[in-house]
Amino acid sequence: MDSHLEKLPSMVDAIRAIKEIIITNIVLIGQIPSPTFKEEKRTRIFMERLAEAQVDECTTDAYGNPIGIVKGTSEANPPIFVVAHLDTFFGEDVDHNFTVKKKTISGPGILDNSAGVGVLASLPEIMRTLGIGFKSDIVLVGDIQSIGKGNLRGIRNLLKTWPTPIRGAVCIEGGELGRLNYYSDGMRRCEITCSIPSTFRWTHKFRPNAILILHEVINQILKMRLPQKPRARVIIGKIAGGVDYGEIAQDAILGFEIQSDTDKMVKAIYRDIKDIKNGISHEHEVELQLRTVSSLNAARLRFNHPLVKSAAEVLKKLELKPVSVSSETELSIFLFHKIPAVTIGITKGENYHLENAVIKIAPIYKGIAQLIGILMAIDSGVCDEQ
Amino acid sequence: MNNSWLNKNTFHYAEFRDLERLVTEKQKKKITISLCLPTLNEEKTIAKEIVIMKSELMTRYPLLDEIVVVDSGSTDRTRKIAREYGADVYEAANILPQQGHFRGKGENLWKALYVTRGDIIVYLDADIKNIHHRFVYALVAPLLLYDGIKFCKAFYDRPIATGEKKMRQTGGGRVTELVIRPLFSLFFPELTQIIQPLSGEYACFRDVLEKIPFPIGYGIETSMILDIYERWGLDVMAQVDLEKRVHRNQGIKALGKMAFVILNTFARRIEKQGFIKINKSTYSEMIQYNLVKSQYQADIFKIEGVERPPMIEIPEYREKFNIH
Repeated sequence: MDSHLEKLPSMVDAIRAIKEIIITNIVLIGQIPSPTFKEEKRTRIFMERLAEAQVDECTTDAYGNPIGIVKGTSEANPPIFVVAHLDTFFGEDVDHNFTVKKKTISGPGILDNSAGVGVLASLPEIMRTLGIGFKSDIVLVGDIQSIGKGNLRGIRNLLKTWPTPIRGAVCIEGGELGRLNYYSDGMRRCEITCSIPSTFRWTHKFRPNAILILHEVINQILKMRLPQKPRARVIIGKIAGGVDYGEIAQDAILGFEIQSDTDKMVKAIYRDIKDIKNGISHEHEVELQLRTVSSLNAARLRFNHPLVKSAAEVLKKLELKPVSVSSETELSIFLFHKIPAVTIGITKGENYHLENAVIKIAPIYKGIAQLIGILMAIDSGVCDEQ
Repeated sequence: MNNSWLNKNTFHYAEFRDLERLVTEKQKKKITISLCLPTLNEEKTIAKEIVIMKSELMTRYPLLDEIVVVDSGSTDRTRKIAREYGADVYEAANILPQQGHFRGKGENLWKALYVTRGDIIVYLDADIKNIHHRFVYALVAPLLLYDGIKFCKAFYDRPIATGEKKMRQTGGGRVTELVIRPLFSLFFPELTQIIQPLSGEYACFRDVLEKIPFPIGYGIETSMILDIYERWGLDVMAQVDLEKRVHRNQGIKALGKMAFVILNTFARRIEKQGFIKINKSTYSEMIQYNLVKSQYQADIFKIEGVERPPMIEIPEYREKFNIH
């Protein structure tokens, strides 16, 4: 492991030497709109780039996740996965053309996750440039249907159907360089919708207001006493409704997320909120619908797991301070399947989910060296220890 | 009208995706290729064009031998950024200074002949937002693969990027449809087979480009087609479908000025070729009107109808390229 660490700083310069290839992959893939459930075009381009980089195998799985395989030298070792989700928050009607400047690249979705996907597609070329080979096969996956209502379906299906054991995995995100995620909280993402039947409009003098009904729901959620152990919280994330200033709102929708260290607590809080919903529905004589949009199980590696320790050492060798928080990415699905995994960020940037998101180019090389370092650690066996 | 040229000399970029084949052909024929990007304040797009071409057509496949930026005096960071990404950057005013300097795209393309070294020169507008290396390899391919073809021009769908970051799927090509195509239909019906005669992306052998004059401004695309057609015929030309090009929208007045320059260029050529006789001198000012505080005010745009002579007549060029 130590010999791998020593090589890392010098890799940064070698990676910088092929910056055109890396930037080109980020731009050519990232400029193809890829909203969740409509990732086909980006899938095609991603596979073209992998084929251009001459991976040994290039295909999609039965669910439509594009996969490239760089063959390892040993057939005995299970494969190592590197994944980056292909989908973005922006619709097809948004201009996805990026602007490349001296130090930055900007455009919709560049941080989440075009930079990550572009680096993933560049990995075979980077490995060739660095003269690095692995004992394990390296499986490069651009998983689809990951974010929001996609609910990580792509990676769930891939891991459910993958025929062999998996040695370990690294999930890559465009931002933020320095993150080292090794656990994910239990999570349930929900929507409550309130629709006042149109019959109310004319027959009731004091018609209920959908926004105020949801306001009452929020009030009651905020009054809930949540424990400090296991940690738990409810995030009120979004609310929308109504049509005009002087019109009583007939429709409104509330989006929130329950998070906790344990799945049990997530379930308990969900039940409490369901009771709140039922009570308000009864008292105000309106119909409220509670719907789960997506959910994740709580899963984690220990802080002293060899993969976490090795990854932290890699970051430190590259003068990066590891920052650990919960991550609701593909990581949780790997951990759920008992596959050791971490999530890392590739570079730094701003305006994360805005159309004018921007990444810095210079930190990318360190971000990639970090990825290579962690792959080397996995290949050397840190995930094989029980 | 016989449209056999359209069927025979029109290609789709996908036909030329085998870049190894193009490189092999290029090496076999010992041909060098230069990419020239004429610029004027293109800091938003220039880096992307250079990066992608270098990555795909120099590092991955050695199809291009050089990337040259010829700048008209940008006031933004175009030149700095282009240098940063490894292009050879020239200011047009500093190329052949003894020949004087005019502002205009045609002037840049003409001077590019002096500073580039390729047997084939690919000209690419520097404002292409959805740039892809097909914009170069697909233009070069017919010249490498078909012996008779010397000049290849791009055509594409032209969605316009509006200010709201939304894409509008129609539009573009207005000057082509309202000016060029009617004129071609009147005088050179064969040339109407060229789908987008005003596209700013084309590849041509140097031994053709150096023998034709270059208007200094917008008229260059029109004159190039007319001059190559007159001297070498339609069969040396080809066109390639690049599918989609996203460009900046231009206002109707800017298009009016463009149309004026093109009409001027066209008129000079058809008079020279004996199609028409203009019995008086034409004016050199495009006059448009703006409504300012309830008053119409003239906005006069003066056209310098200068044309650069064929580069092969320039002594410095002959000396540099050892032409006797």
